[in-house]
Amino acid sequence: MPNIDENKEGIKGMANPTRYGIERFAYLLMRLSGLGLLVYFVVHIYETSMILQGKVGWDEFLEITQTTEGHIILALVIGMSVFHTVNGIRVMLGHGGIGVGKPARPDYPYPAQSQNAKHKISIYSAIVLAAIAMMYGIGVMFGD
Amino acid sequence: MRESIIMKIHYGTAVAAVALVAVHILFRFTLGFAESLEYENVIANYQFLPYAGMLEIILILISIHGFNGLRVVLLELKQGSQYEKSVNYGCLGAMALVILYGSRTIFMTNMGMM
Repeated sequence: MPNIDENKEGIKGMANPTRYGIERFAYLLMRLSGLGLLVYFVVHIYETSMILQGKVGWDEFLEITQTTEGHIILALVIGMSVFHTVNGIRVMLGHGGIGVGKPARPDYPYPAQSQNAKHKISIYSAIVLAAIAMMYGIGVMFGD
Repeated sequence: MRESIIMKIHYGTAVAAVALVAVHILFRFTLGFAESLEYENVIANYQFLPYAGMLEIILILISIHGFNGLRVVLLELKQGSQYEKSVNYGCLGAMALVILYGSRTIFMTNMGMM
């Protein structure tokens, strides 16, 4: 009986950004940023529920977030949300058939029409925008 | 539900959430970041009904988008009837719990039940 698991690399395969270029890296970052934002969202829901414990409870919990570590985590959240948003718009447009190129005869070296310069530029733009947003966020948080 | 419909919901919730979260963040800049997080200001935000309504909508949109995203990632990792059923119901349950817990905070603060 053939081993049906032989080509399943699981998390290791999903997390390998080296084999398929910037598109694969964007795929990995999209999932990592999504999971990171989901964790932050759940923590944020818990954090805001501290308001029900009155001024003392709120201020005590806020103190934990108003530290250098708290600001660094928030800066990462800003970066993740900007990348996830910009890259998400690219993915949505791609799924809608926008920017994926026209079908063409497959000639050597068989470049995929969908992996074109527009998408590559969009991915790099998402990374740059995320970095700018993180720096702005750090400026606001540490400037207060 | 067909996966194509679920993905349309996924994208729809994403676009709506981006717009509303932008408003949510802009509220932090109305008074300055640190001042806007002071207890009295946060309570005032929650007791402003349109803002509280917006928070509830954001809560629902991001919960749907986030837990469906988690479901997609988990289904990409592994397949199988029992596994897929567990992931689908697990994510749905977690989503419902987060919405209920977040709604409790919004309703109680809005009604002044602290």
